[in-house]
Amino acid sequence: MPQPKLISLAAAVDRFTQNGVQYASGAALPIGSDAIVLGRELLRQGRNQLHAIFHCNSQQLNLLAGAGAVDKAECGFSGLEVFGFANGLRRAVETGATQLEDYSNLAMAIRLFGGAMNWPFVPATVNIGSDIQYRSAFSPEEYPATSKIPMITDPFSGRQLGAFQSLQPEVAAIHVSMADPLGNAIMLGTEWSRFELSRAAKKVILVADEIVHTDCMRQFPNLVRIPDIVVDAVVYWPFAAWPQSSPGLYDVDEDHMRSMNKALATEETTQQYLKDYVFSYQSHRDYLGMIGNETREKITQTETSFLMDPYRKWILSADEIAKLVLEGER
Amino acid sequence: MNSHKLEYTRQEMMAIATGRELRDGELAIFGVGLSMLAGYFAQEHHAPNIRAMTEGGVYGAIPVGGLPWGIECNRISANATSFTNGVDALGFLVASGRCDVGIIGAAQVDKFGNVNTTGIWDGEIGEHYRAPKTRLTGAGGANDIACGAGRVLIMVAHEPKRFAEKVTYISSPGYLDGGNTRECYGFVGGGPSAIITTLGILRPNPDTKEFQLDAYYPFSNIEEIQSNTGWELKVCPRVHVVPEPTVDELKALRKVDETGALRKQ
Repeated sequence: MPQPKLISLAAAVDRFTQNGVQYASGAALPIGSDAIVLGRELLRQGRNQLHAIFHCNSQQLNLLAGAGAVDKAECGFSGLEVFGFANGLRRAVETGATQLEDYSNLAMAIRLFGGAMNWPFVPATVNIGSDIQYRSAFSPEEYPATSKIPMITDPFSGRQLGAFQSLQPEVAAIHVSMADPLGNAIMLGTEWSRFELSRAAKKVILVADEIVHTDCMRQFPNLVRIPDIVVDAVVYWPFAAWPQSSPGLYDVDEDHMRSMNKALATEETTQQYLKDYVFSYQSHRDYLGMIGNETREKITQTETSFLMDPYRKWILSADEIAKLVLEGER
Repeated sequence: MNSHKLEYTRQEMMAIATGRELRDGELAIFGVGLSMLAGYFAQEHHAPNIRAMTEGGVYGAIPVGGLPWGIECNRISANATSFTNGVDALGFLVASGRCDVGIIGAAQVDKFGNVNTTGIWDGEIGEHYRAPKTRLTGAGGANDIACGAGRVLIMVAHEPKRFAEKVTYISSPGYLDGGNTRECYGFVGGGPSAIITTLGILRPNPDTKEFQLDAYYPFSNIEEIQSNTGWELKVCPRVHVVPEPTVDELKALRKVDETGALRKQ
């Protein structure tokens, strides 16, 4: 019988992470889904020297790198899309505090796919011929780099392909719209690479905006792309992706996206941001207060809210969830 | 643009010129930002059956409320008919060779259509890799589109610093060193078919693959474009003026660009 896996956010970070951990987040989208609140908790518990594996930069990687907690990072896209450059990550890379190894978005996804398959590498014809192949931040002395994306020969046709090293992150935090207490999850919006990541990572923590009864999963089993058997822990944390969006639940908080990124541009303002938005809350209730009633009201008026309609009747109450967390931490 | 009264912005002209390159029914992938507006403009105006997707695997959507903040913004998730994932969109549908056309942006582009979106260095990088002076956004999905899409449209503001003889770092390949050098890598996609800028349209010479001036806008001219290009820009014998946006085109573009992202000067 599968067991409930609900634990607190603090317990998840305490149990599954340590300094220097190879940490992946999902979806690692710059605007949409990402387990951002888990990154805040990593900083609250003083984790550092992280090896971050992010499909794309998000406000989480921006924050972690800006706070000086990331030694190495691998990602496909390192900006914030229409919100501009990611100032925290950018500052960390420019000063040399973070070594950023560049790939493309498909490369990151297939490297996780390879990890999920337990293959040593995956062949593809992207990234080759460009400086993504020839330049390596992890082996800067190699030029042109031959160990990052080495060329291999297709044994059938003789064609040359790039070999992409698979990824099996030590721990992954994956943001999902809703999970049941056992760890079955439904993601609204693009999965990006959360499906692959959930199978590639050695430990998987789900961070869910809503907890639903398992009957919901039985009603929509085709939509449960992350089943409980690959999940180690479930954390309930509404607005977990804030200030980014969660389709069906809340829109991006445009003001905070900008002010957060502005703060991360300098060391001094980053310290202030940490004080105000990372070390400032003791409970989820405080966290909601920090976002503010007005903002929460605004961002939950989302054009996508109809996407949640089929699932609402199975949403568990905060009290029911609290009881399950107590059992889970026992 | 001295005496010409603009009733549209240069950015709008660029988006419309880009959109005109898209044909009805094509399988198309749009990058974030202006690329997306150009793509959805084409769908709204002359290519209603374009099969559009984003690299996140969002299908069947038409943005609501203005320029989406990203490829996965709720503005593009509010009316999708399918959500899948990156392996599907960038892999099964682009790297496989199925995608007809992609639109990407560039911080810097060179005469062979190679794109740099990774960083700005002071001088050459050198033998030993070093962090850029100014870190940009990285390749994202643009490298995958540049390698895999049947043809690629590059949208970029026409400023001298953005048009280099040779980019410092190739984030997304064009024709590499020109001639047949791209062919050596066996990419599935054909490479960039046009660089569409705020001043005109550049297309590759079929043999050398060097980009040359194919067309300018009613408000720009050949000299202006050459002086804003960081290499000695050749001019096609058949160089011509791009027709102005029509009333219908502007109407369609502004419907998609509800928040006026392209109207900011």
